[in-house]
Amino acid sequence: MKQLDQALNPISLRKPGYLWDLLKSLVDRDLKLMYKRSTLGIAWTLINPLLQLLVFIFVFQLIIKIDIPQYSSYVFTGLLAWNWFQNSLFQATGIIIDSRPLIRQPGFPSVTLPVVVVTTGLIHFILALPVLVVFLLIDGVQLTPIVLCLPLLQLIQFGLTVTLSYFLAAVNVTFRDTQHTLGVLLQFLFYLTPIFYEIDSIPERFWYAYGLNPMVHIVTCYRQILIWGVQPDWLALVIIAGVTLILLPIGYRVFRRQSLRFVEEI
Amino acid sequence: MRDAILVENLGKHFNRYHVTKPFTIMEAVLSGLQRIKPVEHFWALRGVSFTVEGGKMLGVIGHNGAGKSTLLQLLGKVAHPTEGRIKMRGRVGALLDLGAGFHGDLTGRDNLFVTAIVAGLRRQEVAYRLDRIVKFAELEGFIDNPVRTYSSGMMMRLAFSIAVHTDPDILLVDEFLSVGDLSFQVKCLNRITEMKEQGCAIVLVSHDVSQVERLCDRALWLKQGTVMAYGEPEVVAGQYTSEMRSQTQHRTPHRPPQLTRTGAQLQVNQNRFGSLEAEIIDVRFLPKSAIESGDRLQVEIDYRAQPTVDSAIFSVAVSQEDSKPCLDVNSLEAGIPYIPLQEKGTIRLTLDRLDLSSGQYFVNVGIYKQDWSYAYDYHWHVYPLTVDSKTPSKGILQPPMRWEVVSSKTPQLLPPR
Repeated sequence: MKQLDQALNPISLRKPGYLWDLLKSLVDRDLKLMYKRSTLGIAWTLINPLLQLLVFIFVFQLIIKIDIPQYSSYVFTGLLAWNWFQNSLFQATGIIIDSRPLIRQPGFPSVTLPVVVVTTGLIHFILALPVLVVFLLIDGVQLTPIVLCLPLLQLIQFGLTVTLSYFLAAVNVTFRDTQHTLGVLLQFLFYLTPIFYEIDSIPERFWYAYGLNPMVHIVTCYRQILIWGVQPDWLALVIIAGVTLILLPIGYRVFRRQSLRFVEEI
Repeated sequence: MRDAILVENLGKHFNRYHVTKPFTIMEAVLSGLQRIKPVEHFWALRGVSFTVEGGKMLGVIGHNGAGKSTLLQLLGKVAHPTEGRIKMRGRVGALLDLGAGFHGDLTGRDNLFVTAIVAGLRRQEVAYRLDRIVKFAELEGFIDNPVRTYSSGMMMRLAFSIAVHTDPDILLVDEFLSVGDLSFQVKCLNRITEMKEQGCAIVLVSHDVSQVERLCDRALWLKQGTVMAYGEPEVVAGQYTSEMRSQTQHRTPHRPPQLTRTGAQLQVNQNRFGSLEAEIIDVRFLPKSAIESGDRLQVEIDYRAQPTVDSAIFSVAVSQEDSKPCLDVNSLEAGIPYIPLQEKGTIRLTLDRLDLSSGQYFVNVGIYKQDWSYAYDYHWHVYPLTVDSKTPSKGILQPPMRWEVVSSKTPQLLPPR
């Protein structure tokens, strides 16, 4: 019986070395595709947040004055974290439907697919970090050793995004319009995250509900370690990590079940 | 050799959903979530048992919907069995929808790496086998070009080559012999035989009974999800073929010979086949049944359906007297998904020009069930067509043409006409 269980769960059959190779080659493929499909290639992933930043600076520094010190660094940090989150979720939602040939391959660990998407996003995030550093220097920010918490913060966001991706991709098998619905929801969530405004602008009576959005805390923590050079909000991070650890195995299972169901539906 | 595949009392249960099962969140909310529940259950596969030793090949035959692909999915562990047991020893490779995972914008090399790693190889292993894979696919000069520049044959060759070089212990094959040209097919067969000799267990799913008879060590015949026969390929293939023949005859009702309007005799099971749920009453050629090459030809088919047929496909084929096909078209592929038949009606096919060389032809006309599973009525070698031409030509085609001398150093050699 034990053997059967193992056979039904391809991941346990694999050596970690193989999974690493698989992840690497799929991420590599995604990056190459992105690079080949547009003349600007990887540069797009930089230009996009820069243009967004330009819009926010134009609107909130020239038209409506919002008084936030180091505004470029403030917004750019938020944008990088948010774009990683949003693009990953959006892409991962369609991943089961889009990857039929891969899922049909015997023994293919389909649960790696959302991980591939989120990893590709992380690479873009990391590629954009030098630009962020330039903004920080322009804004006169002194980087402190607390910056070394950055990988930990990214790991927590990674886990959170993968977990949510599992659920969204699974729902998309049953309801094919999830991606469209998600687009609207994410836009809504964007405004409910302090990316171009300060958290203090939210009236105090809404704080409790507002705080339920995990991205509020994650974005704030990035700023705490990068711009303000203070300890991140450890309590919030522990709660997010804890909830992620509980939901991840559930999402993993739901995703696996749905990807099998999708293949069977043909 | 010990068993590489052991299947015991395998069963797979499916739910069939309501046709109006909501596909979007919006619909689901509006319909109040009631129609999500399945309305019907059925067994796609039940009570299937067999073993395949290493170095042996099992052929699985059966009609569409007999459960062949479900069986492959279960063996490939991309679907869970509802009951029973599957034991697979070793790595499973597959020749299923070849090349479907390729990305056109990436080079052959990039696609090769991803596909081979997805199939279960480590990166160094792929690098080590790279040359062999490329050589086998005969793509040495093209491997660094984007796959979108490949012909479909090249793509298939690459996909096949990758799949057979991943050294699986078990190989699942879905109709592989349509890969590439004849010489490549021979190469594929040799490679498959070689893998078998090295101890690979192979499961081949095929429509082609003679292929299973030729290649396999054992055969399994599935019908509506259950095993009809399992054993020596010759025996199983014989049983399968005789059953198919009796099925078709069973569907074709007995009826005395009829005459068409032009006087040809229609005799069931000789030049007329089908269930006759819908009938072809008459076929007319306009302007007439003897035309000049390049003329316009209209084929009008009068039909009668008793009582009504929801949807049908019309097909018209032109063949030479020795049955060599010249033209074969049907309404479905022409983009008309549904033609409902009610009582009587006429369908017209217009061929703006028919550039056949001169000779005698037959126009074969048929009405088929919407899923092509059988013919309602098919008239074969009943309606003759004569094509005349002023300029004789060999072969089938006689397109409008002219000869010109574009450049010649000695034009005076060609006397003016």
